[in-house]
Amino acid sequence: MSSAIWQLCLARLEEEIPADQFNTWIRPLQAVEEGDEMRLLAPNAFVQEKVRAEYARRIVDSLTALGRPELRLEVAVGSIETPSSAAAPSVVEPESRGKAFSKGSNLNPGYTFASFVEGKSNQLARAASFQVAENPGSAYNPLVIYGGVGLGKTHLMHAIGNLILDRNPSSKVAYLRSEQFVADMVKSLRHNTIDAFKRHYRSLNALLIDDIQFFAGKERSQEEFFHTFNALLENEQQIIMTCDRFPKEVDGIEERLKSRCGWGLTVFIDMPELETRVAILKDKAAQRGVDLPDEVAFFIGKRIRSNIRELEGALSRVMAHAQFTGQAITLDLTREALRDLLALQDRLVTIENIQKVVAEYYKIRVHDLLSARRSRSVARPRQIAMALAKELTSHSLPEIGDAFGGRDHTTVLHACRKIKELRESDNRINEEYRILLRILTS
Amino acid sequence: MSSPSQLPLDIARTPRPSLEDFVPGENGALLATLREWARGTESRLLYLWGVPGSGKSHLLQGACTEAGRGGRAALVALPLLLGHGPGVLEGLAGSGFLVVDGLQAIAGRPDWEGALFRLFNATRDRGGSMLFAARGRPAELGLGLPDLVSRLQWAEPWQVRPLDDAGRLQVLRQQATARGLELSEEVGRFLLHRHSRDLRHLSLLLERLDLASLAERRRLTVPFVRSVLAAEGRDRFSGRGC
Repeated sequence: MSSAIWQLCLARLEEEIPADQFNTWIRPLQAVEEGDEMRLLAPNAFVQEKVRAEYARRIVDSLTALGRPELRLEVAVGSIETPSSAAAPSVVEPESRGKAFSKGSNLNPGYTFASFVEGKSNQLARAASFQVAENPGSAYNPLVIYGGVGLGKTHLMHAIGNLILDRNPSSKVAYLRSEQFVADMVKSLRHNTIDAFKRHYRSLNALLIDDIQFFAGKERSQEEFFHTFNALLENEQQIIMTCDRFPKEVDGIEERLKSRCGWGLTVFIDMPELETRVAILKDKAAQRGVDLPDEVAFFIGKRIRSNIRELEGALSRVMAHAQFTGQAITLDLTREALRDLLALQDRLVTIENIQKVVAEYYKIRVHDLLSARRSRSVARPRQIAMALAKELTSHSLPEIGDAFGGRDHTTVLHACRKIKELRESDNRINEEYRILLRILTS
Repeated sequence: MSSPSQLPLDIARTPRPSLEDFVPGENGALLATLREWARGTESRLLYLWGVPGSGKSHLLQGACTEAGRGGRAALVALPLLLGHGPGVLEGLAGSGFLVVDGLQAIAGRPDWEGALFRLFNATRDRGGSMLFAARGRPAELGLGLPDLVSRLQWAEPWQVRPLDDAGRLQVLRQQATARGLELSEEVGRFLLHRHSRDLRHLSLLLERLDLASLAERRRLTVPFVRSVLAAEGRDRFSGRGC
């Protein structure tokens, strides 16, 4: 279904259109050739409009130059959906794209209780989740897990769903984010399928809704969710929700919904303590076939305390570095790989800050660095500060000169050369320069 | 008597950023990682940050082009799309490779942050690979949606390290060659010593010198460059991109 002539056309257009525009407007297009029509499918109306207005003529010219002048160009919004089975791909129009509400459980099979690393910070949430998975509809209903981003709420929720299905494969379980519930409802209203929407959600054995804080301000969706909620609860079906804060604290959510959340059990999940972070890192590495040394796991775990996603990101970075250099993961390699992530240098490195740090280091005043004084005790630090400004910032030499009391760019150039020379011949200067570099970049 | 100026032909001579022509400097590991990312053997998230002019947009363009040869890719240069509204992000989750540049542009814009958050989730649900770039790390951008920040933190963080002057000179000469210009080391150093050493600015400067050289039918010499810049009435630049 994908058009060979379109591939040739793309190659021509890529030569003609600036890369940023080509990658933004042309590359996301998909093409379907049917008879004498070339239909280009744009991901949304903005792209469709842009292509029609600015590139259609050029595309037609390319098709003509490629020997297909008879092809009629049509630009529509849609996509070619490739099914996972051997069935032929089909074109999906936006009107029908996602027309039916989310089908299937949407559960990630990798998120199980076995792969969840337990610690003090999440012990209660895990225990409650396990209880619910063992006795859906009767243990705690609804179960609300709340806590900051990236701490494992979604993992626990999927684990519950997976265990319910494991125990009873005929159970109807659905996981979705609250925005998806809203989007499904809006589509159902537009397509007059709201009754089917209601039937679908009210017939579930377990409804897992992630991030209910995104319901805030969406009154119509909250109302529908409220009724779904009541129907499931009446029939003793399980509801599990997550929220980024205590549900009662979410502005824009109706009181009656907040009150329902309090009927079951609300559990808090916190950032894992160091030992748990270390265990998580070792676990994630093991899943990718890597035995992460303890000292490395402790090094990363000690420094990254915000959330588990950031821990994973840092681990991926270390593993990529090890792969690139062909070395084993050691503490030194980890330090090197995470040097940038852990440094605050970007914000510290301004000419003004360099002047301040250098002045403090040599116990002189910033004013001295900017003055006309030429005594060695001032001139050398000034030259060092200029060399650091050249190394650590993108400022031009005239700009650096200006910032040092309106000096000429040749003075800056001379300072940089002088310091380079001195660093090679004078250990003390070299050491001082390195210390200042370290202060400014760590 | 000098010959009259020629009007340069309107032929696109802008060099096409690619991973091949990126001068790596200290970014060798990053470059290798981007090549691997573009091959798409696994779903992978990368996050690049660096100061303006360090080469982020070049790398993203190159990675998007390379990924697009083997799959469906889309570039989302946020600073350039703000005028369209966040609806421009709809439907992009089907791209196997999503490249998002200039994240700082949407900081503090809840509708855009929400739209990108949804696009992130939808792309990840479909097993797509993503590549992001911004001027700082996710937590430093001033994003108001913590859910978006933590998802960006999921990506492998890579700092794009600016080139030293030798590297900058190499890039300038490479760009000049791509434009059919000869840029001597002397002229290159002249530019580096008297202008912002931000590569984006230097590239724009080269573009203008290219046009002037065509119009005047002169080679790029220090006196010629000096005269062009003097004629413009200024010899420094400002302005920033993604």
